[in-house]
Amino acid sequence: MLIALALVAILGPMLARGAMAVVFRATVEFRKMQSDMHNRGNASALEAEAADAAEARKPVYEMLDAFAHGVDTQLLEREAAQVYRQVGEELERRSVSAEVRQEVRRLTRNLRDALIEAYQAADRATAEQHLARVLKHADDERLAGTAAERLFDYARDYREHLRTLNFDRRREYAVALAEVQDAVRRLLGPRPDEPTPPLAMHRYGATRMDMAARVLDGLLHAETWVEPVPGKPLVKQRIPREEQFAGTRLAALFPYVREHLDEMLRPRLTFHPQYFWDDSIPGHYFGGVGPEILGTLALTALAILLAFPIGLISAAYLVEVAGENPAVNFIRMCINTLAGVPSIVFGLFGLAFFVHYVTGRPCVLAAALTLAVLVLPVIIRASEEAIRAVPPAYKEAALALGASRFRCFLTVQLPAALPGVLTGVILSMSRAAGETAPILFTGAIAFGPALDLLGWPPGGWLFSQTRALSYGGYDIAVGDRIAAMVPHQQYGMVTTLIALVLMLNITAIIIRWRISRKLRG
Amino acid sequence: MIGREKPEATAVGFDRPLLLTARQDLVGYAGGLTGRAVLFSIAASSVLAVLLIFAFIIREAVPFLLRGNDAAAGLSLANLPTRLGELFGSDQWHPEASVAPEFGTLAILAGSLYVTVTALAVGVPVGLLTAVCLSDVVPFSVRQAVKPVVELLAAIPSVAYGFFAVLVLAPLIQKHLDVPTGTNVLNAGLILAVMAIPTIVSISEDALSAVGRDLREASYACGATRAETLLRVVIPAAHNGIIAAVLLGMMRAIGETMVVWMASGMAAQVPAPWWDLAQSVRTMTGTIAQEMGETVVGSPHYHALFVLGLVLLVFTFSLNLATETLLGRMRRQGGKKP
Repeated sequence: MLIALALVAILGPMLARGAMAVVFRATVEFRKMQSDMHNRGNASALEAEAADAAEARKPVYEMLDAFAHGVDTQLLEREAAQVYRQVGEELERRSVSAEVRQEVRRLTRNLRDALIEAYQAADRATAEQHLARVLKHADDERLAGTAAERLFDYARDYREHLRTLNFDRRREYAVALAEVQDAVRRLLGPRPDEPTPPLAMHRYGATRMDMAARVLDGLLHAETWVEPVPGKPLVKQRIPREEQFAGTRLAALFPYVREHLDEMLRPRLTFHPQYFWDDSIPGHYFGGVGPEILGTLALTALAILLAFPIGLISAAYLVEVAGENPAVNFIRMCINTLAGVPSIVFGLFGLAFFVHYVTGRPCVLAAALTLAVLVLPVIIRASEEAIRAVPPAYKEAALALGASRFRCFLTVQLPAALPGVLTGVILSMSRAAGETAPILFTGAIAFGPALDLLGWPPGGWLFSQTRALSYGGYDIAVGDRIAAMVPHQQYGMVTTLIALVLMLNITAIIIRWRISRKLRG
Repeated sequence: MIGREKPEATAVGFDRPLLLTARQDLVGYAGGLTGRAVLFSIAASSVLAVLLIFAFIIREAVPFLLRGNDAAAGLSLANLPTRLGELFGSDQWHPEASVAPEFGTLAILAGSLYVTVTALAVGVPVGLLTAVCLSDVVPFSVRQAVKPVVELLAAIPSVAYGFFAVLVLAPLIQKHLDVPTGTNVLNAGLILAVMAIPTIVSISEDALSAVGRDLREASYACGATRAETLLRVVIPAAHNGIIAAVLLGMMRAIGETMVVWMASGMAAQVPAPWWDLAQSVRTMTGTIAQEMGETVVGSPHYHALFVLGLVLLVFTFSLNLATETLLGRMRRQGGKKP
């Protein structure tokens, strides 16, 4: 009842969100990324798609540029200075006399300074004055055919802007424009003419539609913090950007983006099982959980390999050979104690003993040894129960036929107990896979290379540290802000762990159910 | 030897003589003894493991417990009272302070206590109720269906619970209870309760089933109603197992690391006022997990963390002993293995 409800309430949302790591609506940016990083996908189809998307995005960039030219004075000043430099270079290449060169350069310099003063003017009248000074020389034949003509275009352009520009809010617009440009970059990726950014996470726009929806929300709304009541915590306030930019040229950008988002991003429902074996970009912004799965499997397999023989033989001893003396009772008590030790204490023990004495440094071997000690009592208890559950008739029949006790155990009791023993092994595998505390100090890392199982020397991977699903799940949940930007990665990793553990447990339950059905006849 | 041709090879060696020579007898006996000794030593590996655990944790905790007030002085038993006073007499935990590091663990111990008590306060009633329902109220088929669900709940890794606690539950708590942070005693306590409930349910349910039918039937025969039977007869008869279940749940809650590391807020403070569960605390397990990675091996901080581990170990060990005694009594009473 309540318990089933709790199970569903806890697991449901996590599994649902985690499934989104593998099944989601992917955009053209995602396909671009997969093609760049892993050479996946049809290159020609992707190019066609990217071209279509670029077509749809052009108006956005045009609107942004147009507005920037009215608001971003630093940009304009840079452009004016650039023109002056170009004129200088042109004059060097042309064969003109030194006087003419100097004259033209002086003139261009004056024009540039006047233009810059126009840009920096704080009110319309002064700006118009300076612009008039510039345009006075518009017909000067000394400047005909040179790059300086662009200065006149800029001046005319700026005059157009002045009509609609609200000078008081120019500073505010500049800041808001920077935010809008940043949001557009996060949505659509870097502009076609920009150099490729060094960080992988900046190279592509929104790769999934849910991420795109979040970025779009950030684009369409400006957020500020206001203090509703003095002394109380600040409260976020959202203003639609259409209001913020009302009356300017940029106001048309937002309805356009909202309506044409699908054309710009071209989403498609994708099934992406490569999540389970891809490596991830450091920070888990892109990529999958392959190394984590590999690490968890390696640790679990090694731990079981170490603990299973000891556990089975101990159980066999306790059931078959041991009497009821104090030594055996002490052994049983120790097994129960081992079962009750908290997992972090196992981690401390692993650090103090396995890392310091056995392996010298934190590594897979130390972590596996610690996990082996952790699961030993589980294996012993399950095997003991399984061997005890074998009907005594089997054993007595074998002994009556003349088999030695050892042979009887090996050939009769053990096969009969095998399903139960297997259940115990599977349960301890699921326990070892899910434990984080024992591997924290003995061999788990959050960022690092995947285990190199086939490298040289063989077995060298035993002495390297590894990523694991359990520790990775902790780190991605609380570790860094980048991971907080990609909740599908967070939920995906935890869901993979839960799915692995549940699969193992359900297998064990099925085996147990089949045994009980067989025993019931 | 009775006249024999060579018999065909059989699964069991019938070509052995019926009468062993003295030598064969001795060899067989010695072989048997050796075999038993080998098996015993393998089984004793778990003893070895426990002894090693205790030995190494104590070994790494001792340099803190016995050190003097300045670094140069050696270890001596005379320093123990001062150190214990330092550990358990103050709630200021500043082990990395450069001027005067403080190692007061009271706040941390209080944190463990708060979280455990909250977990039990929520988990024991729910768990007991469920166990009573499962053993006495619902039909057998429902019980068979619910048991795997309870087991699955127990099998979910603690990281997953911690993940849920910090990413789903904490924002809910922060929003709906209007508190500054969602990672606090309440959050950790609730999740620990969910983790402890399967343990409590399964052990209590076994205890309740171990109370034989005759006791229940006798109670009905005396005219008691179902509720009265449950409350006055069955539960008191199973009290050993139920207390063991509660203690095991407590052991689970106190030893849990990942959930409290993520969801308890990790603030070494005693909540003020004492009943405010929406404040962050820090537990022993969380402290060890958080700080061990950044501590210099061999520094007083390192050894102090091992002292915390030792406290945990001793506490869970005694709880374990108590549980085993109770379960043993229950077994002897009911004649059924838990």
